[in-house]
Amino acid sequence: MTVNLTLDLIDRLEEDVPGGYSRGGEPTTEPTALAGLALAAHGRIECARLAATWLANQQADDGSIGISPSRPTPCWPTGLAILLWRSIQSVTGSDAYGDSIDPAVRWALAQRGRTQKRGPYSDHDTTLVGWSWAANTHSWVEPSAMFVLALKAAGQGEHPRTREAVRLISDRLLPAGGCNYGNTIVLGQALLPHVQPTGLAMMALADEKYHVPQVELSLNFLQRELCEDTTTSSLCYGLLGLAAHDRMAAERFEWLQRACIRSISEGVGCYKLALLALAAAEKYPFSNDRLAVLAG
Amino acid sequence: MNSTPQNHCEQPKLDRRALLIGSGVAVTGLAGAAWISNAWQPRAKVFVARHQHYDGRLADTIRDGLLATGIEPNVFRGRRVVLKPNMVEPSRKISHMTTHPAVVVAAVEVFKNWGAAVSVGEAPGHVRDTEMALVESGVADAVKDARTQFADLNYEPVVWRPNRGGRSNLDGFWFPRSIAEADFVVSMPKLKTHHWMGLTATMKNLYGVLPGLVYGWPKNVLHHAGIPQTVYDINASLPQLIGIVDGIDCMEGDGPILGSRKAMGLIIVGTNLPAIDATVARIIGLAPQRVPYLALADGQLGPINDSRIEQMGERWRDVVSPFKILDQPHLKRMRSEESGALVT
Repeated sequence: MTVNLTLDLIDRLEEDVPGGYSRGGEPTTEPTALAGLALAAHGRIECARLAATWLANQQADDGSIGISPSRPTPCWPTGLAILLWRSIQSVTGSDAYGDSIDPAVRWALAQRGRTQKRGPYSDHDTTLVGWSWAANTHSWVEPSAMFVLALKAAGQGEHPRTREAVRLISDRLLPAGGCNYGNTIVLGQALLPHVQPTGLAMMALADEKYHVPQVELSLNFLQRELCEDTTTSSLCYGLLGLAAHDRMAAERFEWLQRACIRSISEGVGCYKLALLALAAAEKYPFSNDRLAVLAG
Repeated sequence: MNSTPQNHCEQPKLDRRALLIGSGVAVTGLAGAAWISNAWQPRAKVFVARHQHYDGRLADTIRDGLLATGIEPNVFRGRRVVLKPNMVEPSRKISHMTTHPAVVVAAVEVFKNWGAAVSVGEAPGHVRDTEMALVESGVADAVKDARTQFADLNYEPVVWRPNRGGRSNLDGFWFPRSIAEADFVVSMPKLKTHHWMGLTATMKNLYGVLPGLVYGWPKNVLHHAGIPQTVYDINASLPQLIGIVDGIDCMEGDGPILGSRKAMGLIIVGTNLPAIDATVARIIGLAPQRVPYLALADGQLGPINDSRIEQMGERWRDVVSPFKILDQPHLKRMRSEESGALVT
């Protein structure tokens, strides 16, 4: 079985929008936003618009978007919707979805992860404010990275909230590079890094003028860890994290091809197809040069 | 006395002797009142097997253990059973962190042979890539070998269930559909120390049924609501529970992720999770009443007092081997009188 990444994969993805985490499952926000981003990156603008409009229809009056039409909270995928809307604006040169972007950005900037006094047990700076998965909980790497990407794309890269979240993500990198969900050293022991959050963190930290040494170590970690057996979403985020820093693994297409065949044979849903398509895009789909060009 | 999962806390009947003694409470005062109170505490059976190996006849051990604790096989015919191993943050470099796939395969065999529709479900708490968690833990192969389904509890549609425990301020829980619709949930933890809770066994393992999509990675909503309280509430709000502990290769020291391997060769089985966890706490050298979530559960969700737990198979005293714990005050407070080494 051979799969042409740029044809078979994208065709399958088009059929699955709006889509869910599993094939045939309830359409949900994150997979649909990622699918729209992937379709836009591959020039399938009409279908990307379908995803973007579906997301706009899910938006609450306060600008937020819940995890699915049946679950209006938590609203951590709101940043991904902003990214998609900005991506379509950038590709089409229009101001489409501006009415959705503005309230979503306002909502995002009003959300603050919960802080606490620094204590003896954890090493990370618990006073920094980023974004949390659910309201009134602590800030973690992945939601913070998603909102940093979104706010940069929306022209808010210099907003103090974005700057603080960039510091937060940098602070959560492990001493030897890489990161996990967002703990570093607990009770004196450095925790384990994982590929997927490291890839996303590297995406959020791309284009930053100031880099802590752990960024280079994290990129090295990704290069070391990625291989043909890396599971699908980790592989895709790992490759995207490297691509954000202009590093491409020579075996990238071979690995993606293998993951694609495996995923399709397992009947995966929109979520993984979208990640595969994003990682297979010729140009890095989250480039600020590309997304922020129209931002006011 | 029937101790099927429908009746997993045995309530003792007061016999004539108890009533006679009870009638003397007014005379004997508080000591008598305490005796009566204790007599009304629930009872439970816990089965402990030793000399177990991952390449041994684990299905026989699990089946015999469940039968010994009063399980009636016919209650599973046509019922939905979800097995919940521990795959919090798997790494094949630290295989003693997660439930061994051989134990999962064995449990699937037991419940399938009893006529149940069996699936394996987990919502890994620290990683979003569930496929990675499945592969790294070896559970992916186990699911394939056992010809059963895996339910990715992090991303399934969710169903609201009220909080039947009431110890935290949460009104209820969003359970994944597989869990909400299950007839039985089987908690299958790896026996490990836990650097906050003392140990992680059958009750704490059930944090892993709640979806990250709603509760986050980590499930920080629960942490902010209180870990012991939410452990209690989740256990109180789930369908009928059974516990099977992988105590063969365990983790001591800085569990639940970075601790050291400790070979114990144990399988521990039962239908009352507080009683199981109290038993394994004793085995690893912790005092159950000093483990916060067990203190909360005591007498409410099940017994933790040794006198209320009927030990089947091996006696726990014969397999005690204190686990190293971190040199932290909150952990040292949980130590039982039999001291064990600290990891500093």
